[in-house]
Amino acid sequence: MRTLIKYFHLWLKLTENSFLISFTGKFNASLFLLGKALRFALTMGFIIVLFMQATKLADYGLVEFMFFFLTFNLIDTVTQLFFREVYRFRPMVVSGDFDLVLVKPMNPLFRALAGGADPLDLLMLIPYVGILIVVAGRLGVATVPNVLAYLLLVANGLVIATGFHILVLALAIATTEIDHAVMIYRDLTGMGRVQVDIYREPMRTVLMFVIPVGLMMTVPAKAFLGLLSPWFIAFSVLFGGAFFFLCFKIWNVALTKYSSASS
Amino acid sequence: MKIYFQIIKNTWDEYMVYRLNFILWRVRMVMQILVTYFLWWAIFSQRELFGGYTESMMLTYILLSSIVRTIVLGTTTMEVGEVINRGNLSNHLVRPLSFFSYYIARDIGDKLLNFMFSLVEIGLLFVILHPPVFLQMQPLVVLTAAAAVVIGAVLYFMFSMILGLLGFWTPDIWGPRFLSFVVMEFFAGGVFPLDILPQGIFLLTKGLPFYYFLYFPLGIYLGKISGWELVNGFAMSFVWIFGLGILLRALWLRGLKVYSAEGK
Repeated sequence: MRTLIKYFHLWLKLTENSFLISFTGKFNASLFLLGKALRFALTMGFIIVLFMQATKLADYGLVEFMFFFLTFNLIDTVTQLFFREVYRFRPMVVSGDFDLVLVKPMNPLFRALAGGADPLDLLMLIPYVGILIVVAGRLGVATVPNVLAYLLLVANGLVIATGFHILVLALAIATTEIDHAVMIYRDLTGMGRVQVDIYREPMRTVLMFVIPVGLMMTVPAKAFLGLLSPWFIAFSVLFGGAFFFLCFKIWNVALTKYSSASS
Repeated sequence: MKIYFQIIKNTWDEYMVYRLNFILWRVRMVMQILVTYFLWWAIFSQRELFGGYTESMMLTYILLSSIVRTIVLGTTTMEVGEVINRGNLSNHLVRPLSFFSYYIARDIGDKLLNFMFSLVEIGLLFVILHPPVFLQMQPLVVLTAAAAVVIGAVLYFMFSMILGLLGFWTPDIWGPRFLSFVVMEFFAGGVFPLDILPQGIFLLTKGLPFYYFLYFPLGIYLGKISGWELVNGFAMSFVWIFGLGILLRALWLRGLKVYSAEGK
């Protein structure tokens, strides 16, 4: 428990620093904020335009389609909010500055993964969650079991997302040749912007069980709509846990390969 | 001329130092195409016509847009802001070579390499997905579309360079660029043809430079833009080239006056 409190205090401190840095460049921060809001509004606008000419898309109506996108958006934003530091990890490895993290009495994975939350995503999360609740209400399926299953699977999606970020960190240590691994993750998960049911086989299965983007982004929304069996929900949670464990093991192996280059 | 070939070659060599990095960059591009492709494929699995587009026209639009994107939007000018901020512009200023010519040559190298890769990728996607495609049989239309691609590339070069030159006045160069990406991604027509938008919004997009990046050349190829609309489109794109050219020159000259080689 003491360790947990210590890390919570550390996280608060690192986040405070991160907020101060972000708001130093107010011009940049406001444009990023505006860009994020605009991207969200334009995507919602695009979905509405699609449904102006089609009543159903892959068997889902407008509100359901929006709900899938909003769930993706929620998981994506929360992940970016907490794991923004991952975007700055590779330069730390390449420059050898990661040495300074390793010598500190702090878990290096914690520092590399959660060493500073993003205030812009925190601000964006407020309207996102508000709109998500309104859209979820309009679906008319908000029963207690559906809501609980949804929350459980969103949490599971965040666990899988954490696993992916740990993989990105491990990759940055294993090879310095890739400078946009986290963007590859963003593009991969971006495939979950729409429900993975729209993809053709075998891609659909790959996105569900090999690169578990479907389990992360589509499955929670499906659970809310009452389209999943309890068995599949249990399987998803087990899969998420196993995926996270595997990623954690890979990180431990990668850490032993750190060569302290350039330091 | 020899020097420009050398710059193109250097740009290629630069990318080939980190081959895996470049290949994964291309993988990212393929993933982005797939999302859009399958979204439209799902739409057309339940209908034959959408916004005046048949399945073959829409899928051709999406696949071709990924090739046109490499030519129009492939650029190395994104580094310009940082070149200025770090004081590295001084190295360019003492060279017997124009800063703009240098980046034009670098961009040609970038575009050529990405174009070749995109051809291979689209070829593979054709083999795997067997999409129905629309083949434009009139050579004149294809040539006109190609000319519009070149105009789009010139316009985007100027637009991106203007964003880079903001580095003379502020170190916050990524905010404006991010905002421009968001607006451009929607209004250039990379995800969908702009004419499926409600008429009022579509007319508004025609007044923006983004319209000429992707939608204009692709619309010409698909036969959606012809006659007076085509003439107007070319006239408007030249107006934008002229306007952005004046702005670019003004920013460059004023920027040089405030440039202090900070960071060097």
